[in-house]
Parts: sequence; C-alpha cells; structure tokens
Amino acid sequence: MRDTLRACAGLAFFMVTYEMHSAQVSSRPFGVNPGGGATVLLCVLAATLSILLPPAVSARTVKDQTGRSVNVPDNPHRLVSLAPNITEIVYALGLGDELVGDTDYCDFPPQAKNKPHIGTMVNPSLERIVALKADLALGTPEANRRETADQLERLGIPLYGVTASTLAGTLASIDDLGKILGRASEARSLVAEMQARIDRVEKRIEGQPKPKVLFVVWYRPLITVGPRTFIADVIRAAGGTPIGENLKGEWPRLTLEELLPQNPDVILLPKTESFSPSMEEFQSLPGWKDLRAVKERRMFFVSETVMRPGPRLVDALEELAGVLHPTVALKTGERQ
Amino acid sequence: MTFPATPRNVIVVAGVMSLLLVLTVLVSLTMGAVHLPLAEVWTALVSPGTHSEAAVIVRGIRLPRILLAIFVGAALSVAGTGLQALLRNPLADPYVLGISSGAAVGAIFALWIGGRVAAASPLAAFVGAVITMVWVYLLGRHGGRLSSYTLILAGVITASFLSAIILFMLTLLSTRDVRGIAFWLMGDLSVTPVAELRILGPAIILAIAGLYVFAKDLNVLLLGAEEAAHLGVNVARVEVGVYILASLLTGIAVSASGAIGYLGLLVPHLGRMLVGNDHRMLLPTAALGGAILLVLSDTLARTAVAPAELPVGAVTAVAGAPVFIYLLRKTAG
Repeated sequence: MRDTLRACAGLAFFMVTYEMHSAQVSSRPFGVNPGGGATVLLCVLAATLSILLPPAVSARTVKDQTGRSVNVPDNPHRLVSLAPNITEIVYALGLGDELVGDTDYCDFPPQAKNKPHIGTMVNPSLERIVALKADLALGTPEANRRETADQLERLGIPLYGVTASTLAGTLASIDDLGKILGRASEARSLVAEMQARIDRVEKRIEGQPKPKVLFVVWYRPLITVGPRTFIADVIRAAGGTPIGENLKGEWPRLTLEELLPQNPDVILLPKTESFSPSMEEFQSLPGWKDLRAVKERRMFFVSETVMRPGPRLVDALEELAGVLHPTVALKTGERQ
Repeated sequence: MTFPATPRNVIVVAGVMSLLLVLTVLVSLTMGAVHLPLAEVWTALVSPGTHSEAAVIVRGIRLPRILLAIFVGAALSVAGTGLQALLRNPLADPYVLGISSGAAVGAIFALWIGGRVAAASPLAAFVGAVITMVWVYLLGRHGGRLSSYTLILAGVITASFLSAIILFMLTLLSTRDVRGIAFWLMGDLSVTPVAELRILGPAIILAIAGLYVFAKDLNVLLLGAEEAAHLGVNVARVEVGVYILASLLTGIAVSASGAIGYLGLLVPHLGRMLVGNDHRMLLPTAALGGAILLVLSDTLARTAVAPAELPVGAVTAVAGAPVFIYLLRKTAG
C-alpha cells in the first residue's frame, strides 16, 4: 500500500514535470492545460498520503490466527504486548529484551512489571505505543478490541493476533509466535516440553475416576466456564469433568436450578486479588450446602495461573491434577 | 447577560468563542499519555514532511481525535438547543427523545447479524437513529402537529424499550464483541474514524447551518405555537425541519462516538446563561461551546488515568450531572 502510494507520487511528479516541460515546448500558457491541473492535484494527494504513512520497512504479509492480513516486519525487535499471556510467551521465548512495552496487567515474569506500560488491554494508549517506536504489536481477540487493531494499522504499526482459547490453541499460539518472531526452534522445544508435561499428567491419572468439577469464575451471579475454553480443557486434562458441557459461550451463567442436579464433586475457585471471598461465604450461599462438594469439603482455591493461556498453563494443569487426584498426581514443579 | 443579536454582536461572540476553541485545541494537543514538549508539538503541526513519533502522535492520533470531539460536541449541543426550543422544554435532548438509543440498537444489530465490516456499524447506527426518529415523531404527533409532551413521553418510553432490546442483544453476543460495544455505549472517542471524518465533518457543518436558518423562527416559537402561527411563522415547516436536522446531527454523532450524555442537555442551558435566548446568537454559541467542552472532557479522559483511557461519556456524565443540578437550583431559586 505504502509502496503503491509512493510509486503514484513518483509517477505523478514525473507527469507534472513532463507536462510542464511540454507546456514550455508548445509555449502554451501554464495552468491552462486541464490535465496538468489534475495531475498536480493527484501529485499533491499522493505525496500527502505517502507522507502521512510511515516509511516502508522490509516486511511480509501474513494471515494471523484471527484471519487478518498483517504486514509483519522480517526482524521485529521492538515488540509491544497487549495481553499478559502474550507477555509471558514473549519472555519464555527469550525475547524479554525485545519487549519495549506491555499492559498494566502484565505481572509475570516479575520484570514485566517494570516495562513501560501502554494501558489496559481493552483501551490502550495508542500514542504510548507509537512513542515506544514499536515495530510489531502482539494481541489476542480474547483480550483486545478489533478497533485497536484497526487504529494501529492506520498508524503503521502491525498487530499480529493469536487466539489461545483452548489448551491446544495455547500451544499452537506459542508455536505461531515463535515463527513470527524468529524463534521457531525455541518455541518448538517449549511446546514439546509443555506437551510432555501434559502427557505425563495424563499417564498418571489414567484409570482414575473423573470427578465432576465446577469452576467458579464469579459467584454472584454464578459464572462458570464454557466447554470450549482453555480452562475446561485444563480441567479435562487434569482428570476432571467440567460441568456444563451443554452451556453456550465462554463465560456462561449458571443458575442454581441447573447446578443442583449436576451436583459437582469438586468446586474450584481461582484466587485473584479482586476475588478472594472466604470458604464460609460460599458455604452460606443459598442451596450450596446441599452440594456434594460442599458437604465433603472439596472446595479448593487454585492459583489464577489457570486463567492465563500462556506457558504456565501446564503449571496450572499439574496443580489441578494434584487437587483432583491427590493420591497419584505429581506435585507442581516435581520432575521425574 | 444578554446582548441584542445584531449581526455585529453575533460575529463578535462567535469570534471570541472560536478563539477559545483554538486555544483549547492547542492546549489539548500538548496533553496526552506521552509527554511532548510544546516545541515538538508545534514542529509536528507546521511541518507536514516529517514522520517522527511526535508527528505521528500529534497528526495521526491527537488531531483527528480532537477534530472528532469538535464535530460531535457541536452536533450534540446544537441538536439539544434546537430540540429544547422546538419543544419549549428544558429537558429535551437527543437522549431523552430516544434517538441515540435507536442508533445504539442499529450498531449492535450490525454486530449481531455477524457482518463485521468497518463501515457497517456507523451506517447501521445512523439507520437506527433515523428509524427511531420517524417512529417517535409519528407517536408524538397530535392532531397533525407535534405535541411537546406527547413527543417527550414517546421518546422516553421508546428509549427505555430500546435499552431493554440492547440488554437482550448484549446477553446473546460473545464476550469478545460485548467489550467493544460496552465502550462504545459509554461514549468513546478513542476510535477515530479518520476516513469517515471527511464525510461526517461537512455533514455536521451543513446540518448546523441548516438549523441556523430556523433561528429566527425558533425565537418566535418560544412564545407558543399558536402565537407563532399568528405572527406568520409556518410552524409545521419549522417543526419538521428542526426535528429532522436535530435527529440527523444526533445520528451522525452517535454513530461516530457512541452515547455521550449530558452535552445536548447542558450546553444549551450554559449558552442561554451566557448570551440569552436569541437563537441567532445562541446556536453558534452552543456549537462552539459544545465543541470546547467535549475537547476538554476528552483531554481529561485521555490523561486522567494515563496510559489507560476513560470513555469520554463517563467524564461528561460525572461532570455534567452536578453542573446540571447546580444550574437547576440556581434558576429555580
């Protein structure tokens, strides 16, 4: 696009000089030639447009995981991450130094907190991103708005989007980012290691009964996870059955009427800064004391890593496997 | 404070307000999440050849957004002024009449049926505004003429009905789309439709100019519809004209920036306090004053919690409600 405009400007400039020249030769008074006027206009227009657009760098056009065509530079080295899970992937690929900015919510690894922040995922500051001289922004439709991508594109900063809505998708997004960022082999070995840990958990819990698991995203109203989310995937991989297989959407609401007959064996609650009610609070919720999980006191707080589809999702998987199958599963971090 | 609306006075007031607007714009250009020294902003503004980061920030991000704020601010304020005069009701504004809810329904409907084309949302918002406007107009007509109370009641009930429709559609949309829509519903200028600005801007200016043609008639109409008719005003023509133009202005503004509240309600009141009730003077004052207020509000929205951004609708609501209550008590007492 930029190159086309530049070429247009060049062509128009050539035509104007040519016409001025021929005007002189034919001794026609300058300005009478209507074609000349149009070309001057075209020239000014194309020149203005090409000035408004940033200079071209060597890049290739690829389709990202969201289906957008993105002009990705060949050697991106000033990255901006628009989501915490992507920040973690960038660090895990050894590109922490290339990351010039991340969101206010990027807190892992700890050094991510010290990077210049560009605001929130939903409404980042475009001018911060420009001022950081980013040559590639990385985002995900699970956290960012499409409008942000459109605006960045207008400003000449490509945004490459990955989707990490399932466990397999999380692995695929790491692999994909590795390819885009020139760290394909690092990404491959990271994914292989994660897959090995997933397989190890699977082997350990083989033949174990699969408890019905209620994952509580929010409790007033009760919001759980849909069947096609990475959290549901992690619960399944950890040897549990997430309740609500027929629920629609990513974060469906669950009424007591629907919950009671499903009668979960285990209730999982992610512990976050903004979400830390006491166990007693849950037990006192209407109808809850009759649930099997409450009666058998199988309610557990789990770390919020499970809510972040990045490299640490397998940590969460091992943690969940330990909670669901305490007798056979490996502890987090335990290696064979 | 009331000046007679002589041509000279109108020009002086408009000139002073324009100067204030230019000053506001200059101040706003220097403010943002990224600190840019005054000199750099100026260089970026006057030398179009550069494409430094400062130039991209000033010309590519701040200036288009400020321009959008000017157009939207002027459009909503003039629409409010026109409707308040037309209905002889100080509570009338585009939101009360349900027009902006109609625009919102249109935009969400475009998302809902799946076509995520960049231009579809504003277009659908505009269509939604027009349909609502016609509907409320038909409801509000009484004996061939617009009845002020019926129209406002029709608007209020339509607005709350449409709000219910919005909530219904939001629960059926995926989380992904709701995020964007929620921001838009609060009123947000962060997504500047740069290409569309070339159409929106002139359209808004034309509609404001069109409304100004009715300025004198609106003055007479303040005496009451029958009195105005006796004095030779074609009341039906004024009613239809002002109503269509105000709805047009609202539809354009809402389609570009979502539901920015209080501006259409507040600015006409401020304008009347400033220059009095003569619409030849009041309309330009409201247009420029609305532009100034929205540029200021959006500057606050961009900088208050930087680098994160607030939706500007939240700023206008938080600032607008107390000011409105103050004005209400002051004029009542």
